[in-house]
Amino acid sequence: MTHTIQVVILGLLLGGVYALMASGLTLMFGVMRIVNLAHGAFIVVAAYMAYLLFQGPGWDPFLSLVVIMPAMFLLGVLIYRFLFPPIESSPRFGEMTVLLTFAVALIVEGLLGFFFTGTFRTTDPPYSTEAILIGDLFIPKAQLYASITSLVLLAGLGAFLRLTRTGYAVRATMQNRTAAQIVGVNVRGVSTLSFGIGMALAGASGSLISFLFPFFPNSHWRWIAILLSLIVLGGLGSIKGAVIGALLLAVTAALISDQFGPTWSPMTFFGALFLILLIRPRGLFGQETRV
Amino acid sequence: MALLEVKDVSSGYGYGPDILNRVSLSVESGTAYCIIGPNGAGKSTLLKTVAGLLQPRRGEILFDGQPIGGMRPDLVLATGICYVPQDRSLFPEMTVRENLIMGGFLERDRAVLSDRMEQVFEMFPVLADRASQHAVTMSGGEQQMLALGRALMIQPRVMMIDEPSLGLAPQVADQIFDIIRRLGELQITLLLVEQNVVRGLAATDWSFLLDLGVLRLEAPSDEILDDPRIRELYLGRQLAGSHPPTDQGEES
Repeated sequence: MTHTIQVVILGLLLGGVYALMASGLTLMFGVMRIVNLAHGAFIVVAAYMAYLLFQGPGWDPFLSLVVIMPAMFLLGVLIYRFLFPPIESSPRFGEMTVLLTFAVALIVEGLLGFFFTGTFRTTDPPYSTEAILIGDLFIPKAQLYASITSLVLLAGLGAFLRLTRTGYAVRATMQNRTAAQIVGVNVRGVSTLSFGIGMALAGASGSLISFLFPFFPNSHWRWIAILLSLIVLGGLGSIKGAVIGALLLAVTAALISDQFGPTWSPMTFFGALFLILLIRPRGLFGQETRV
Repeated sequence: MALLEVKDVSSGYGYGPDILNRVSLSVESGTAYCIIGPNGAGKSTLLKTVAGLLQPRRGEILFDGQPIGGMRPDLVLATGICYVPQDRSLFPEMTVRENLIMGGFLERDRAVLSDRMEQVFEMFPVLADRASQHAVTMSGGEQQMLALGRALMIQPRVMMIDEPSLGLAPQVADQIFDIIRRLGELQITLLLVEQNVVRGLAATDWSFLLDLGVLRLEAPSDEILDDPRIRELYLGRQLAGSHPPTDQGEES
């Protein structure tokens, strides 16, 4: 029993970080209908930033996060403003974003390989190998801190969306873009902001995974595959769904890995993806119809 | 001077052909207008172009003498022109109250907003009863009332309403039109597109007849209704009261 609780706790801690990664991705889809296949690549970019700041000035990844988030926000604003206007009026906008961001992911991967080589990297702050013992339960500090940070950031995102005027504008745009336009929301501005926020969340996730998982330029494929299955499970465009989907799947993956060996853990995500598409294609919290 | 002037405007969707073909018309303050015409005439396209949702491909649009053609929709709205589309475009997962708050998005003064919400609740008591209900759970008539109420939150000078009775039972449509007739009392200039031509003409002072993107005729609404040529030429089947046309197609 203790063992199972232990596995569930580890799954939940990891799920918190997955939730942070997935929330940015689902926000971008919700507001702009952009399927951002480069989200994983930008998470890895942020991990390299954290790595550089750790190796150079010796910054702790939690300190780096404070710098990386605004840097990635700005990068996101630039990317959105330069990359997307040419395809904006295309009747196949959704499909075009898949191709466009796929290309971006390849370019980013190539650049990372050029500058950092294919070697595995990681940051190893002191707490990355420490743990807290509560009775028989073993809680690794790195995962605990990362998870808490993720939850704080997600709560911040939730508060922004629920309580501020701009947050209302973002939610309105997610629910019905035309409606948002006719009540006076500048949807271009909201889109730029949301893309920036999504990138800032990728930045935060990257700083956190820098000490959770060793990474190299190619790692992002693994992340984006998992993230896409998470947000489809939760319902595309639903942040609540992304969070619940992430926690659910991370725990399931941990249990399966414990029972059948880690080889089967990634299968959880894709198995769940198949199931949800068969049973409930709009996901747990997806909107029934999209206008 | 006319309040709103559309001069030689062409417009359409994406890379498609011109749906609206060099239309010119002018709208006087305090008058109620109906835009009629068969399916595909460009009625909705005209409203969307004025609202800034579509870019005019040629020509200009003046409001109070200022050019507004091609401006962003939020900036057009800020000048006082609001648009109520035929699909109502509500925020499905927001409550009635939140939808109304969004309607007043451009008004930052909270006291003003809550006054206006009270006025909307007075006009539509059913919305007050449903204030905490999600828009998606309401009936078609209630949704239309919410769409109108939401538009009133910015106290517009011009209201462009697209097919308000679409999909509504006749009694419900009557209720909606009772409200629409009262817009004049609120100093609101009305531009109405309505599939039920009899109803639309009865609620307005002046009408424009569009056909295949071209303005064919304009006349006082009560005269258009009495003109046998018009009846036969454009509106025959609709006036005969058979099946109302479903105005979907490229305009939806």
